[in-house]
Amino acid sequence: MHDTAIEDVLRSEAPRVLGAVVRRYGHFDLAEDAVQEALLAAATRWPNSGLPNDPGAWLVTVASRRLTDLLRSEQARRRREDVVAQGTPSDRWRAPAADSDIPSDDTLVLLFLCCHPSLTPASQVALALRAVGGLTTEEIARAFLTSEDTMARRISRAKKRIEDSGEPFRMPAADGYAERLAAVLHVLYLIFTEGYAATSGTDLVRHDLSSEAVRLARIVHRVLPSDPEVAGLLALMLLTDARRGARVSADGALIPLDAQDRSLWDRDAVAEGTALVSEALRRGEAGPYQLQAAIAAVHDRASRVEETDWPQIVRLYELLLRMSDNPVVALNHAVAVAMARGPEEGLDLLARLADDDRVADGRRFHAVRAHLLEMLGDEAAARAEYGEAARRATSLPQQRYLYARAERLG
Amino acid sequence: MKFMIQSYGTQQDYDGMAGKSTETPPWSQEDFAAMAEFMTKFNAELEASGELVETRGLAAPVHTRRVGPGTLVTDGPYAETEEVLAGYWIVECDSFDRATEIALRLAECPAPPHVLATAYADVRPIDEGVPPEAEP
Repeated sequence: MHDTAIEDVLRSEAPRVLGAVVRRYGHFDLAEDAVQEALLAAATRWPNSGLPNDPGAWLVTVASRRLTDLLRSEQARRRREDVVAQGTPSDRWRAPAADSDIPSDDTLVLLFLCCHPSLTPASQVALALRAVGGLTTEEIARAFLTSEDTMARRISRAKKRIEDSGEPFRMPAADGYAERLAAVLHVLYLIFTEGYAATSGTDLVRHDLSSEAVRLARIVHRVLPSDPEVAGLLALMLLTDARRGARVSADGALIPLDAQDRSLWDRDAVAEGTALVSEALRRGEAGPYQLQAAIAAVHDRASRVEETDWPQIVRLYELLLRMSDNPVVALNHAVAVAMARGPEEGLDLLARLADDDRVADGRRFHAVRAHLLEMLGDEAAARAEYGEAARRATSLPQQRYLYARAERLG
Repeated sequence: MKFMIQSYGTQQDYDGMAGKSTETPPWSQEDFAAMAEFMTKFNAELEASGELVETRGLAAPVHTRRVGPGTLVTDGPYAETEEVLAGYWIVECDSFDRATEIALRLAECPAPPHVLATAYADVRPIDEGVPPEAEP
């Protein structure tokens, strides 16, 4: 049995096993530790013994036993009354194999639980990666450039909070469902963008996190195939991730969309993403993830940058602007307008954003202004704006890109 | 024993690395890529040997905010040519000599000649504090 094959089994079983254990016994906090120990036991035993007939059931049994031990020692320590897990009727949870009827639903419930409203987004992200993604605390810490100690504490505090909230292990009720699903999608999106646009360090892209976000989004989409925003988010990730190979040059420099070698784009990912978003859009009113995916699809459809359908992109950004007062969307809208109708109109839109503190002081605002001034042919002003943008950037590859643009106009 | 290895730079050094022309020439893309490759490898080796506790690079000095007495806040308190902390490694190793050996390897980091000529790093032991009382 290959270790990687075992690892694959463990990763796909982990959230279901945790779901099954929490569903039966509660105690999310301790259950998570118990499942981690069961996974560890499997990882050390299976390479020699081979896979058990039903790996999921094996893991549930071992994790349940371990949970009983943990509860007992916890109870002994706290001198609490013995409430749960008297005896271990192992046949009860061995029976019809780790929830084989609704396996993926447990994964989704778990994801909902991890995105509990009492947690900050940073904690939701960490917990989702650990409990559902099956990443180790060390891996998560490394991905977010923080120490293992800090991340371990963040995760354990998050688990405790969920435990204290007393939320039962089931899908949220209808009135809170939409909000919770939005939180889940937001968490997946945060994981994806963290991987795609690493906010610090000299590496621009941290691939593992993007792939993990795509994997989790696929799971949610499999369970909720008719939810258009879930499909929209998965499409957005695929369509953005398709450009991965073209986004950074061999020597680590950032390549903007209009200068990318489009033959390097992943055509399969583009096709899959485009199909997903087209199908979702047919179902009625488009949500923000679908609109962003649709914009990405328009870009990806153009085999040369000159073939980009800018008027269509402008229309999509206008729909998106009606939904949210997001200054980044407003900036992108200004660029699209400039591409469709000329730099003057784009600069007019930017001027209206100049009073908005959320963007006017940022790198993005000045970078966009610089691009539009360059389009207009005002080289001196463009050069100054590139400099302004570079001074505000905190990532070295971004700074290098912006100074290089400025130098070119020199 | 834990040590902090500190590297230094000026705003001008940062500008050069970011590709901006100042009195000294900016780093070329090759220079930059070679440095990034060296650092990635250097950090990976320290991680593999189990000696790396953590490492960070700091953003340019111009992004500094200094807080003074009361509520006084000063943006960008450093002069262009003032040398300030640019990055650090916290390493856990057997001896001061081993930590020094690690720091010396930083001298092999590729960089333009005018940067290499004045580059240096400090190695400082970290105060371990008072060990906790033994549990009864």
